[in-house]
Amino acid sequence: MSSPVQNWRQTKNIASLIGKIGTILSWTKVFVAPAGFENDVPYFAGIVQFTKNTRTTMQFVDFEKEPVVGQKVITVVRRIGRPKPQEVIQYGIKVKPV
Amino acid sequence: MIGIVSYGVYIPKYRIRVADIARAQKKDPVEITAGLRVEEKAVACPDEDAATLSCEAGLQALIDGKVNPLGIGAITVGSESHPYAVKPTATIVGEILGVSNNYFVADLQFACKAGSAGMQFVWGLLAGGKIDYGLAIGSDVAQAKPGDVLEYTAASVAAAYILGRKKVIADIVDFVSFTSNTPDFWRRDGQMFPSHAGRFTGEPAYFHHVMSASKLLFTKIKKTPASFTHAVFHMPNGKFPTTVAKRLGFTKEQIAKGFVVDKIGNPYCASSLTGLAAVLDIAKPNDTIFFCSYGSGSGADAFVFKVTKEITAYQKHIEKSVQSQIDKKTYVDYSFLTKCAMNKQCL
Amino acid sequence: MNIHVAGVGITKFGELWEKSVFDLALEASKKAIEDSNIDAKKIDAVFVANMLSSKLDGQDQLGSVVATLLGLTVPSVRIEGACASGGLAIHQGVQAILSGLYETVLVVGAEKMTDASLCEITTALMGAGSQEERMAGLTFPALYALMARSHMEQFGTTREQMAQVAVKNHFHASLNDNAHFPFAVSLEKVLGSPDVCYPFTLFDASPISDGAAAVILTKKSIKKGILITGSAVATDTIGLAQRASLTGLSATKIASQKALQQSGVSLSDIDVLEVHDCFTIAEIMAMEDLGFCAKGEGGQFVASGQTKLGNSMPVNTSGGLKACGHPVAATGVKQIVEIVHQLRGDMGARQVKGAKVGLTHNVGGTGATVVVHILER
Repeated sequence: MSSPVQNWRQTKNIASLIGKIGTILSWTKVFVAPAGFENDVPYFAGIVQFTKNTRTTMQFVDFEKEPVVGQKVITVVRRIGRPKPQEVIQYGIKVKPV
Repeated sequence: MIGIVSYGVYIPKYRIRVADIARAQKKDPVEITAGLRVEEKAVACPDEDAATLSCEAGLQALIDGKVNPLGIGAITVGSESHPYAVKPTATIVGEILGVSNNYFVADLQFACKAGSAGMQFVWGLLAGGKIDYGLAIGSDVAQAKPGDVLEYTAASVAAAYILGRKKVIADIVDFVSFTSNTPDFWRRDGQMFPSHAGRFTGEPAYFHHVMSASKLLFTKIKKTPASFTHAVFHMPNGKFPTTVAKRLGFTKEQIAKGFVVDKIGNPYCASSLTGLAAVLDIAKPNDTIFFCSYGSGSGADAFVFKVTKEITAYQKHIEKSVQSQIDKKTYVDYSFLTKCAMNKQCL
Repeated sequence: MNIHVAGVGITKFGELWEKSVFDLALEASKKAIEDSNIDAKKIDAVFVANMLSSKLDGQDQLGSVVATLLGLTVPSVRIEGACASGGLAIHQGVQAILSGLYETVLVVGAEKMTDASLCEITTALMGAGSQEERMAGLTFPALYALMARSHMEQFGTTREQMAQVAVKNHFHASLNDNAHFPFAVSLEKVLGSPDVCYPFTLFDASPISDGAAAVILTKKSIKKGILITGSAVATDTIGLAQRASLTGLSATKIASQKALQQSGVSLSDIDVLEVHDCFTIAEIMAMEDLGFCAKGEGGQFVASGQTKLGNSMPVNTSGGLKACGHPVAATGVKQIVEIVHQLRGDMGARQVKGAKVGLTHNVGGTGATVVVHILER
C-alpha cells in the first residue's frame, strides 16, 4: 500500500468498478484491524457478487444496521486504509447500501 | 451557446445538529442555531476527502448528462481541502472517472469560490474552441478548529458541472468577477485549520464583494433583480445570503429554492454550486437564474443562467436530486466529528 | 510410496519469550535427530518451513541458517505456503527421497510470532490472502467468518456446534504438556468470550504461538519406523471471493482423494486425524471435505462427540491449532509428529487405542493450498 508505483497500478482499475450495483454474499464485522485500518474499527467487510462471474472482496461503508446476505449495494470511491503523512493516498472501491 | 450540459451533487448522508455541537462546546444551542440560522450540517466519513466527493459528484454528472468521460477535455477542482498540497486532485478524479489522457487540468484554491472560478476557466476553453466538454467541480471536506465558530457550519459536499455546447440545459448568459486583496479568512501553508478576522468577514468582505459583483453584472447585461426567476448566493450561514439578497432587491421567494445552508451547512467551494443545482432540479424552461459566489481573500463570481427547454427531458432522469440527498440523512454525535478531526491530524 | 519417519521432535508451543526462531528450529531438529538414532551427518538435505521470519525478523535464507546451526553444509531450503508451509515441507521431503537424489532428510517447521505486536501479526498474516482482501481490511478471522456465516445460513450450523470444536480440542490439549493452552474450557466460556468478528469469539480462533516441530524422513526401512504412504497437495484461488464455494475447500477434496489413492487406504481405515482447525468452522468444513460426513452435516458430526478421544473418530488429539497452538509453519510438521506418536503407541493419556492409520490435513490461507498425508504403522 505504501509504494507509489503499486498505488499507480491499482488506481488504473477503479474507473471500471464505480457506480456498480451488487449483492452481498457474505459479511463480517471486524474488531481487530490490520495496520492502516485501526481508525475504521469496527467495520463491516465481505464478499459482493456483481455479475454472474464477478465476485469481489471489499470493505462496507455507511451501514446503519447490520448488512444482510442478499442485500443490494453500490460501489463508491473512498480512501483505503490510512497513509502515513509522507505516503501517497490509496483510493479504492468500497460498497454502501443502495 | 455555451452552458451547463449536466450536473451532479454528492451530499454525504451523515448530519450533525448545530445544537449538538453547541452543547459539546458548552454554549447555548438555541442561541447558536438561531444566530447562524443553520440547523444541521453534512459530515463526511473519515475515509472520504475532496477527491472522493468530487468523484461521486462527477460520476453523477456524467450519468445524468449521458456524457462519455472520454469526451471530457478539461477538469477543474476548486477546494480548500485538496488532499495534497502538491499533486492535483483533478487528475485523481479524471482517472477514476475514466477520462482520456487528452485533457486540461487546473486545481484551484480561492476559499469558497474556487469551484465557480473553475467554471469561468472551463467556459474560456469552450469559447476558444479548445474543448467540447469541461468538468468544473467545487468540493470540500471543510475543516474547522474545534471550539471555533466555523465548527458549527463547516460542511462536506461536492458539486460537479459539465459545460459544453450541445444539449445545454442552462445557457451561461454572462459572468463577471469582482476581486480584491482582502485578508478576511485564510489558512497558512502547513496549518490544519483556517483562521478568520471575525466581524471583518461581513461588510468589508462578503457584502462588499457580492454586492459589487452583482451590481457590475446587472449593469453589464442591463437587467434588474426583479427580472430573475431565481437567485443563488454563497451561503456561509443563514443570515448573510438572506441579507445580501434583500439589499440587492431580491425577494424571499426568489432565493428560496437555492437556499440549502440551513440543512447542509457551508461546504465551502460547493456551497453556491449546490444551491444552483437545487434550483436546476426544479427550474422551468426560460427561467433565469442569478448566481453569485464569494471566496475570501477576496472575490465574488456573478453569473446569469438562462434555462433552456432541454431541462424538461433532463429532469425526468435525474437520479439523485439535491432535495432527495438533503432528506436522506442519519444523525451522528460530536464524537464522530472528533474522530474525523483526529484522522486528519494523523495525516 | 513408503517413506519412513525415522525420528520426530517438537518444542513446547506458546509465548516463548526467551527463544528465537533459530533456537526453536534447532531444538526441534536436535530432538528429531536424537529420536531417530541417525547421525546428523547422514542428513542429505534440510527443508525448513517458515512463513513470517522474512517479514518480521528480516531474515531470509533460513535454509542456510538452519543447516549451519546443525553443523551441516548440505542442500537446505525454506518452504513457504502460509499455514500449509509445514505440510508442504514434508511433501518436499517425500519428493526429495522419491527422486532418488537423497536418502535421509530433515524437515523442520518453525515460527516465532510473539515478538511482533498484534497489529503487525494480523497484517503479516494477511499475506496468505489476496491483494483485494488486504485492501478490504479482511483479516484472517474475518475471512473465515465469511465462510462461517455462509455455512450457518446454508446449513443451519450453529455457534454452539462450532464452539464444541474448541471445547473438544481444549480437552485434548489438557493431556498434552507441549500445548500452548493445556487446559479444558467449558462451552459457556467459549461462547461468552470477547467478539473477534461475528460469529467468532476469541475462543473460536487459534492463538498466536511460537514453536517448532521436526521429523527425519528416510528411504531406509527401520524397526520402529512409521511410513508415509500418501502425500498430496492441491491448490485453489488465493482469494476467497474467487472460489467456487464459500462453505468448503475443494483443495481438501482433491488432495485427500489423491493421498488416499496413493496409499490404497480408504476413509474407513483411518483411526486418527490431525486437521487444520485455524478457526472452529475450519474443522467442521474439513470433516465434510475429507468425506467423513456429508456437506452441511459437519456441525452435527462434531457436536455428536464422535471426534473426541475415546470415541469413533478422534480428531486433533494434540489439541489442534486452537489449543495446542498455531506457530504457523510448524503446524503441518507437528501434525505428522502427533500421528507418528499415535501410531507408535506411546501417547499415554492421549493414546487412540490400536491406531494403525492416520491422516493429516494442513491448509494454507483460506484454502489456497491444502496438503494431506496418510501415515501407517
